[in-house]
Amino acid sequence: MKEMKLFLGPQHPGMHGNAAVHMYVEGDMIVKAFLLPGMLHRGFEKGMERHTWVNNIGLIPRVCVVEPDINEMAFAQGVEMLLGMEIPERAHYIRMIILELARLSTHLMAYGGLGSPTGLYTLMYHAHTDRNTILNIFEKITGHRVYHMYIVPGGVRKDLPVGIEKDIHAFLDDLENRYEEYRDLGINNPTILARITNTIELPAEVVWELGVTGIGMRSAVNKEYDLRKVIPYARYDKIDFTVPIADYSDAKSRVDCKLQEVVQSINIIRQCLVKMPEGEVKLPLGRGQSMRWTVPKGHVYSVVESSRGEFGYYMVSDGGLNPYRVGVRGASYPQGLLGIEKYLPGTRIDDAALWVDTMGVCSPEIDR
Amino acid sequence: MITGILFGIGVAFFGFVLQTSIAGVNRKVVARVQKRYGPKWYQEFLDIFKLLSKRSVTHGWVFDFGVIMALGGIIGTAMFMPITQNLIAFPEYDNFFIFVYLIAVGMLGMAMSASGSGNPLASIGVMRALTTMLAYEVPFMIVVLTIIKLTGTSSLSEIAAFQQLAGNNWFFIALPLGGIVGLMSLMGMVGKKPFETHIAPAEIASGPMVEYGGKQLGMLFIMHEITVFIEVSLFVHLFLGGADNIIFFVIKYFAVYTTINIISSVYGRFKIDQVVLFFYKWPITMAIVQAFIAIYLGWVI
Repeated sequence: MKEMKLFLGPQHPGMHGNAAVHMYVEGDMIVKAFLLPGMLHRGFEKGMERHTWVNNIGLIPRVCVVEPDINEMAFAQGVEMLLGMEIPERAHYIRMIILELARLSTHLMAYGGLGSPTGLYTLMYHAHTDRNTILNIFEKITGHRVYHMYIVPGGVRKDLPVGIEKDIHAFLDDLENRYEEYRDLGINNPTILARITNTIELPAEVVWELGVTGIGMRSAVNKEYDLRKVIPYARYDKIDFTVPIADYSDAKSRVDCKLQEVVQSINIIRQCLVKMPEGEVKLPLGRGQSMRWTVPKGHVYSVVESSRGEFGYYMVSDGGLNPYRVGVRGASYPQGLLGIEKYLPGTRIDDAALWVDTMGVCSPEIDR
Repeated sequence: MITGILFGIGVAFFGFVLQTSIAGVNRKVVARVQKRYGPKWYQEFLDIFKLLSKRSVTHGWVFDFGVIMALGGIIGTAMFMPITQNLIAFPEYDNFFIFVYLIAVGMLGMAMSASGSGNPLASIGVMRALTTMLAYEVPFMIVVLTIIKLTGTSSLSEIAAFQQLAGNNWFFIALPLGGIVGLMSLMGMVGKKPFETHIAPAEIASGPMVEYGGKQLGMLFIMHEITVFIEVSLFVHLFLGGADNIIFFVIKYFAVYTTINIISSVYGRFKIDQVVLFFYKWPITMAIVQAFIAIYLGWVI
């Protein structure tokens, strides 16, 4: 059979973001595949060296468009570690609310994204409607819908607006009421099950080989390796939640884990709203004009659990106005760049977009 | 003869206007299912007129000729379609088998043109469309042959008249298994999910349509609307007793098309092997059982 070269992206309904998957196919089977990133390469890491510590707050959310808040958290946490600073208690809880809302938003987008490769657009529209409600809440809290620039070194930029708890509770109640409906529409739908059951498996040994983290890992190795549990940051150690796991990682079990995480995130936000104390939300990094702030010499690896896995910033400071070097560990880098090349061959054209969706590939993270 | 041809062209035009309007209304219906507002009901007309007014890129004469062949073949097929008992352009030729053969001309024109574009995604789409056709046609033909055996005719208007004379007993109710098989096959014909494998935007970037734009795409949109008119009308005549007057025809047509659209909006898309497996497993079994019950046991509700 003649081998053909097909392109999934960069302009393709099945591709998420600014990257392309080049596939060599024989019939419907993929025999060779590789990711072609670099189409959103704006030199984030290099750019951070040329901006002051405060200026970087506006740059870093762009590293992952879908879930920008994890960048803010990893960066702010890293700066605070270098400064040896302890931020106000209330700020920790507000940060957790923001991070879990972002996790909900990303999981809903990924679950809705399942509708694109499988043709179930109703799921996509429903999920995006709910995501829009989260963006409305973000707008009220931060003034921005997508890039919030809200979690800053020293705490959060401003306190929660009056009455926002009511909006958050209303949304969470609504989402919880429709949770089973969501499952019936997507993961319990026979046509979707036919597409995602036993599709694009991720064996446990591959997880270790590639360095896959997050749901991809937890669904394969059956271990609660979640940074919120393993090395708790913010105040996750004071919150009661479980980590969904599975012992077999196919597209179905990964999607199932995401949906279970939605329930956990709802519980976490509710607990945060109850336990959140009154008080300050931000401490200044230093005296004088913020553009002249410096951070002590040193290096640190600041890491958070994103919706797609371990997301970290390795930051080096020489004591100057700017970071000396910043390295970003994108959560989807292993499965996006390496996984596609090594493990997409042997699957079918129909499954390529499912890999990108269920493994949570975010192409700007690979470019950064 | 001339009158018949003009009448036939009128039927094809009526089919185009009817299907395009109903498709527009259905975009609103599906939008409501999906928590959207949806476009105006006449959006499909605007899309087609806009495309026809644009300049086109060609990929050679096969590419261009195939589009004309597809549209011409489908208009030619629609000319034979009865609308009611009295509204028939060619009363002696409204035979089911004429539609089976003639509709292939338009489909092959489309396949030829898409393959002529040189895009591998179009070729994959064409192959998938032909494979899907092989899957749904077998059970559909078994059910239709059962109906022909029961009625003793293959004329659509006579089959419709048979159902009306038998106390308005539609074959959709009289042959319930066959009716369900007919509906599933119709979804395969019209290209609705879960049988939309040959379009599959996220996999093969809309398959056969991938290289089209401008006038060619506009003509293919018209061809698609008339094709759907033929297929849904076939179902109305075969399973829902046709219609005495044009209003009943439009109501039945709207009901069938809206039903398959709503079903389609809550299902995902099968893979091509799953489509074939599905049709060769359930509909074909149901069709054979229905034929056995209706013909050999003589049990017709």
